[in-house]
Amino acid sequence: MAREKGFTKKNFLKGIIAENPLFVSILGTCPALATTKSLEAAIGMGLLFTFVLICSSVLVSLLRKIISEEIRTPAYIVIIATFVTIVKMFSNAFLPELYSTLGVFISLIVVNCIVLGRAEAYASKNGVFDSFIDALGMGVGYTLAIILMAFFRELLGTGGFTIGAVFPIVKEPLTLQIIPEDYAISMFQMPAGAFIVFGIILAVLAFIKNRKEELKAAQARAEKIRKAEEAKKAAAAAQAKATVEGGNK
Amino acid sequence: MNPLNAFIAFILAIVSSMLIDNVVLSRFYGICPFLGVSKKVKSSLGMGIAVVFVIVMASLICYPLFELLKLAKIEFMDTVAYILVIASLVQLVGLFIKKFSPSLYKSLGIYLPLITTNCAVLGVVQSNTDQGLTFLMSLANAIGTSVGFLIIIVVFSCIRARLETANTPKAFKGLPIALITAALMALALMGLQGLFSGIQL
Amino acid sequence: MSQVGYLVLAISILVALLAVFIVSFILYVRQPVPKGCENIKINDENCSSCNHKECKFYKGEGE
Repeated sequence: MAREKGFTKKNFLKGIIAENPLFVSILGTCPALATTKSLEAAIGMGLLFTFVLICSSVLVSLLRKIISEEIRTPAYIVIIATFVTIVKMFSNAFLPELYSTLGVFISLIVVNCIVLGRAEAYASKNGVFDSFIDALGMGVGYTLAIILMAFFRELLGTGGFTIGAVFPIVKEPLTLQIIPEDYAISMFQMPAGAFIVFGIILAVLAFIKNRKEELKAAQARAEKIRKAEEAKKAAAAAQAKATVEGGNK
Repeated sequence: MNPLNAFIAFILAIVSSMLIDNVVLSRFYGICPFLGVSKKVKSSLGMGIAVVFVIVMASLICYPLFELLKLAKIEFMDTVAYILVIASLVQLVGLFIKKFSPSLYKSLGIYLPLITTNCAVLGVVQSNTDQGLTFLMSLANAIGTSVGFLIIIVVFSCIRARLETANTPKAFKGLPIALITAALMALALMGLQGLFSGIQL
Repeated sequence: MSQVGYLVLAISILVALLAVFIVSFILYVRQPVPKGCENIKINDENCSSCNHKECKFYKGEGE
């Protein structure tokens, strides 16, 4: 298959920046708000989510010629639900703290719009490798997005980061206090804080986008003015030349 | 438990899952339709009513279904079973509406496919069985949650219609200011926390 | 009940659920849209921020 160079890289990166599922498409907001109380929970959620997304995308892409058009959606739902069950059992067995922290939101990956959306919009039309890269990009993009939210929520809400409460990497949970506890704003740990953090991140992104557009518009305007001036100059020069030539005659 | 106390517990469970522990603003189910559905009161009302119906029906069906799964020793397959029940329920409701009530289809039809992917439905059913609630309590949870969802999206659609004309900073236009508004609503509902903590049955 | 009995029960439950879903799905798709609802239009302003790809009014990615 002929394809332009760097297609895979572009395919991967679009999920992280240009088409970030959380910040650009505003999909999968429920877990993004609910599981970002702590950085670790967000990382765990992101990993589980990415796993489900990749597996279901690859399987849908493999089966895209077998599944008939009519029962596509039911088939996708069953595929996704199967992988979610696997993830649920895995986390229940090996990461029980993560399982109890995320709770019902592991099951809710089934109805996450991103997974079904990617299956329908991309994996059902493209090859296995492309679907894999697309799902990987989307999963990493989503994970980074919820990590960003959890970073602000945990930092502002508790004043530091707790390591080892969810993942059993250290024996005792370790707390890294950055802001003194008295100055922490506990609202950011509460539901209201999640909405505020998400809203402000979206506003900052919109601000950057507006700025870029304004810059581009200003550049375009400057370019236009420059061109118009050049054209005027050229016209004036031509006219002067014509008068000079006319005078010479 | 005598019948009166059971009834009071039922009502308290409905109110608490409707307002104190509101689906959208404190449990974070169904944010997508909450943010996306519309700025029109009428269409959000339609969406909300359809969600109420599906949630109540789904939790009525899923309670005996979980017992059946336990009998077959496949409790771990609950998520798969629930999503199948919810999706078929949504399709059957859609079929019914398509066949018998064109006028209802006109106002509801476009929202029907969105209910399957509404986390509120699966979230309620799943948390009912995860918490091991009794049949009555899961019914109360379902009614309270879905009516809470209905109230919130209707109220929010009114607020968003008003926000359209408000003079917000350019960067906050649209979704960001809606999220900040939701945060303020969540703060307001947080004031109800602990309302029933003194009641003992 | 024996192991096989449990297995049969489990598989039959899941297959029954799946069958109900697929049948209802196909019935829904094949049921013709009622008269007068063939092309319901949504006001563009009311549809701006929704990203449900399964919605038939979804306008595609981007702006």
